[in-house]
Amino acid sequence: MSQVRMRVPEKATAGEVVTVRAMVSHPMETMQFNAGKPVEKNYNYINKVEATYNGRKVFEAETTQAVSQNPFVMFPVKVTEPGKVEITFHDTQGKTYVGQAEIKF
Amino acid sequence: MKAKPMTRRDALRLFGAAGAVLGMGSLRAGDAQAQATGPGMPQPDEKVADTLKRLFGDRPLQPAGDKVKFDAPMIAENGAVVPVRVDVELPMAGDDYVKSIYIISDKNRRPLNTKVSLTPDSGKASVGTNIRLASSTDVRAIAETSKGALYETKREVKVTVGGCGG
Repeated sequence: MSQVRMRVPEKATAGEVVTVRAMVSHPMETMQFNAGKPVEKNYNYINKVEATYNGRKVFEAETTQAVSQNPFVMFPVKVTEPGKVEITFHDTQGKTYVGQAEIKF
Repeated sequence: MKAKPMTRRDALRLFGAAGAVLGMGSLRAGDAQAQATGPGMPQPDEKVADTLKRLFGDRPLQPAGDKVKFDAPMIAENGAVVPVRVDVELPMAGDDYVKSIYIISDKNRRPLNTKVSLTPDSGKASVGTNIRLASSTDVRAIAETSKGALYETKREVKVTVGGCGG
């Protein structure tokens, strides 16, 4: 999906801890309040992020309305073999946004 | 609430978000126990003391010293995009690893910005992201180990333009 951009190092070595950067285009619309009452606006924001490396879970985030628009996350992965990092962003409307990046040795 | 056409509520119900919006509307704001289901879903407004109690119970927040390095700007020009970075110098292997990092902003209506979960496959405990701050506030980075210990580093971030859209 083109809404997710990822950045990983071009090459890694066995046992190295690499830094993965990922960003998803998303408005992160928050629930608005008017005099203490919620405005029934269709809020829509990323509330969960999951990342795996060759199928193993390496990162998960519960994100809230208090995370910026176009959410950006940066996290470490220990790579013992070459493979693929896959990241999935979920929003409150049930949509998912997936990105993939390859780690080469 | 006044009678309204049901369409929006039905639409929200389809996405399972109705519990959050309807529940929020009918409950008093002080009812901190009522929470929408699911990670990251809108919570009622909460004072930070209640957030900490809800997340950690009575477990003490130990000052982290050098163990939790928390990088955040002293002055954030734009409260809507405040870059923060947490690096934790604690083991990340076997049964003793940093399993969660929490970022909490005391003066936000709902102090928890994000909760990050890691595994020993992470290699080290760190995370970077951009958060929204409603106003100048203390921001906390709290690392939780798999054994239940909590380490906290706090920073004051001044915000010139608030980031929660009114």
